[in-house]
Amino acid sequence: MSAERTKIIACSLVIEEIVPYLPSGMDCQTLDSELHVNTDVLRRSLQEAIDASTSSAEIILLGYGLCSQAVVGLQANGCTLVIPKVDDCIALFLGSEEAYKAQFKVAPGTYYLTKSWIESGRSIFDEYNILVDRYGESRALSLMRNFLKHYTRLALINTGRHELEFCRDYCLRTADRFGLRYEEIPGSSSLFERIVQGPHDNDFVIVQPNEIVTFRDFK
Amino acid sequence: MSKKLVKAIADMQEESALKQVNQMMADKVEPAVIMDDAMEAMEIVGQRFEDGTYFLPELMLAGEMMNQITEQVKPEMAKTPVTEPKGKILIGTVAGDIHDIGKNIVSFMLEVNRFEVLDLGVDVPPDKFLEAIREFKPQVVALSGFLTLAFDAMKETIEAIQGAGLRDEVKIMIGGGQVNEEINKYAGADAYGKDAMAGVTLAKKWIVAK
Ligand code: B12
Repeated sequence: MSAERTKIIACSLVIEEIVPYLPSGMDCQTLDSELHVNTDVLRRSLQEAIDASTSSAEIILLGYGLCSQAVVGLQANGCTLVIPKVDDCIALFLGSEEAYKAQFKVAPGTYYLTKSWIESGRSIFDEYNILVDRYGESRALSLMRNFLKHYTRLALINTGRHELEFCRDYCLRTADRFGLRYEEIPGSSSLFERIVQGPHDNDFVIVQPNEIVTFRDFK
Repeated sequence: MSKKLVKAIADMQEESALKQVNQMMADKVEPAVIMDDAMEAMEIVGQRFEDGTYFLPELMLAGEMMNQITEQVKPEMAKTPVTEPKGKILIGTVAGDIHDIGKNIVSFMLEVNRFEVLDLGVDVPPDKFLEAIREFKPQVVALSGFLTLAFDAMKETIEAIQGAGLRDEVKIMIGGGQVNEEINKYAGADAYGKDAMAGVTLAKKWIVAK
């Protein structure tokens, strides 16, 4: 895999984890995480970014997962596509799909946060502030508690690369306010490193040039 | 019928929506009609969420309004003389998944349409479904899931039903978020429904056919 002929297109929530491993000469493009709000919009944006890259690259890497099937249907003209074989970015931060599934066994009612999620200002707890502005503190709190009624845990994923003091403070305060148990869980950089440096083993979906990404590729 | 209720919910006018429901009930409007309006409004809310006009708070408030309307309408439903329930449906959100706004709507729409519904809640493991199939003896099992990870849980649940020799006793429908025909095949269900009405239509078709 020649770095010059490889390009990575990644979500703004994961890019800072990938950059430390980026081989010199590899082209890198970031797409706004906000696109996730609508699966069709995300799919269209990814396809456009891919189409704009196929003439200069031979391999296109996606810093995404299945992401609500937003990647299903994508196709790269004349290029190989490589995508981590995970459901979403939480598995990326945890280092593997197995680690993600193991967390589900521990506590399915977990809200996951990462440094990037907290900094993006787009987690559900940021939206809470919109609620307070609109409906006042007590109504907001009751709405939010209701919304989170099946949640037991707030987990901060530590990939080991960052100073997390302010994240811990933020999570502790947030967990306390909404009656959740706070836990810091170990993440991993393994998938972030391997997406750009290889090897692209069984943990990755490899889509041959002009083939279409399918749901089955991920399962 | 005016669409005041649809507009009130879709525009997040909570008070006005609840007032409207009271008015409709006083006017002896059927619960199913009220719920149809509420559903139509939820669809608009969903669209506005997807196109970026609304954010999570609106989804929360809409979910809350649905709950309140359900609570208001339920006693009325209990009062009206019940013709024989059309059949029994077991519903739940599969293991690992705790999204329940969509499932609650489906559950309630089935009730409004005179099915007897047993709702097992969220994060329901295969064993619980098996136990409930044996005891409640539903004709239809409805599985909800919003995470793509939940599609594996749907598959495992249906395999467990098969393994217990109960697959021929029930029809299975799935739904939620990105569920489509491909997922239906993957999970081994009989059909998928893209919204609550589709679920009701499937249930009617299957239970009459039995
Ligand atoms: C609301 C929401 C939440 C709420 C849930 C509150 C609750 N009590 O349900 C909160 C904020 C708590 C939440 C948490 C999480 N969520 Co969430 N959530 C959503 C969101 C925004 C909307 C889902 C919803 O309720 N819609 C409203 C309903 C009414 O809409 P609907 O689908 O049209 O409903 C109809 C159909 O689905 C159908 N239907 C539903 N069930 C069934 C069943 C049958 C049998 C039939 C026939 C029909 C049917 O009928 C419904 C009514 O007409 C979606 C994004 C989206 N746009 O869908 C993400 C989304 C599903 N969540 C997602 C994620 C990642 C999470 C978290 C992991 C986030 C985190 N950082 O921790 C957690 C996971 C928790 C868990 N273990 O389940 C991802 C899933 C990605 C993936 N892996 O597949 C999504 C797609 C967001 C995204 N784009 O990334 N979430």
